[in-house]
Amino acid sequence: MAWDKETELRLRQVIKDSGVNLLKENLVQGTWGNTAARLDEDHMLVTPTGLDYIALTPEDMPIVQISDPSIWSDGKKPTSERKIHAAIMAARPEINATIHSHPVYCSILASARIELPVMSDEMQKLVGGPARVGAYGLPGTKALKKGTVAAMEGRNACFMANHGVFCAGKDMDEAFEIIRIMEKSSYEYIKQKTLEATGQKTYSDELLFDYFVSKFSK
Amino acid sequence: MNKYVEKIVEYAKRLVEEGINDDKACISLKATQGYMYATKLGVSLKDIKDTDVVKIELATAEGEYNLHASVYAAKEDVNAICHVHPKWVAPVAKAGATIPTVLDDMAQIVGPKCKTANNDVKSILAKLKGCNSCLIKDDGCITTGRSLDEAYTCVLVLDKAAHCFVSSAVIGKNVTINFFEAKLMQIIYKKKYSKANQENLQVSEEE
Repeated sequence: MAWDKETELRLRQVIKDSGVNLLKENLVQGTWGNTAARLDEDHMLVTPTGLDYIALTPEDMPIVQISDPSIWSDGKKPTSERKIHAAIMAARPEINATIHSHPVYCSILASARIELPVMSDEMQKLVGGPARVGAYGLPGTKALKKGTVAAMEGRNACFMANHGVFCAGKDMDEAFEIIRIMEKSSYEYIKQKTLEATGQKTYSDELLFDYFVSKFSK
Repeated sequence: MNKYVEKIVEYAKRLVEEGINDDKACISLKATQGYMYATKLGVSLKDIKDTDVVKIELATAEGEYNLHASVYAAKEDVNAICHVHPKWVAPVAKAGATIPTVLDDMAQIVGPKCKTANNDVKSILAKLKGCNSCLIKDDGCITTGRSLDEAYTCVLVLDKAAHCFVSSAVIGKNVTINFFEAKLMQIIYKKKYSKANQENLQVSEEE
């Protein structure tokens, strides 16, 4: 164990707060989504599987071995997506915090499997370039892990096909900045593409509804 | 307070918190001995109080309540129903379209496809086959679950899937998950969460 108790307690609180903040900022629905924070080279704290972020306590967070995520201790049963968090942390020593979630606008591009071009200097700085879409894999499988790791190469965020988004930062604050810019940029891109498709100048959800109904009614 | 009533009022509030503020909604929970509890018709979800939840005999239910009773009769494992009108479901239900499996969580919680039924019981029952929900032409959607939590979650996931489907269709394309993989996810989810849901189902009637 190469970390002190003070660090562990602080990071347990960081993970607890990350779940609550994802909910507060509307970046997750219900219990879906998970976060991780590195304790040392080979250990990380993660959120448990399927539990309410509000009800979770810092002590509930399990410690997972990065080199073999099937090994865990303390806390409650860890998220089944811990293998992806572990793979990113193992491949990228500079990464200390990761977030996987399903915010709405990121989910739209993930479901359409559309790469998000750089929408702003802020996105370039935080994400490191266009956000790719990882190859599809069933949840919890090696295929999903492999696709996500490949799409994250040289980036701090990527989409997971038909699933959600994955973000990685030097700490949890940065990982949050990244997921926020991903959601904001996805929204801007969808808005831009909707205006192009409809030929209108002002975006609204009603514009999208009307265009959809006119084009896709049976 | 009766536990069925308490659950229904709680979940009506949770739907409102999620932005589904519906004045045409009807939420019900199957009770014992041939009865169900359901919200009064025409009461907005944000205004629902315990006195707005009524006990109804399944065998003699009429209108909207007959729809719920028919679903309970046709699908033995269903214990809760939400008939609501979420924002993104509306254009799809209006278009009469089918939402394909656009997201993993849709496959797990809603099912591989969500079709639009005509606004009659026979058509709705047909479209609910193999699926936990269906859209109703110009009348929102109906979601079902082994518990109210499952039916409520289904509403949220379905609305997000509808949002993805509508936006993706307009900006370019929908890429859907293979049917067999979607079906596999649905089966695994159902098994995995059976234990948790059984606990939710143990709602005892305290009258």
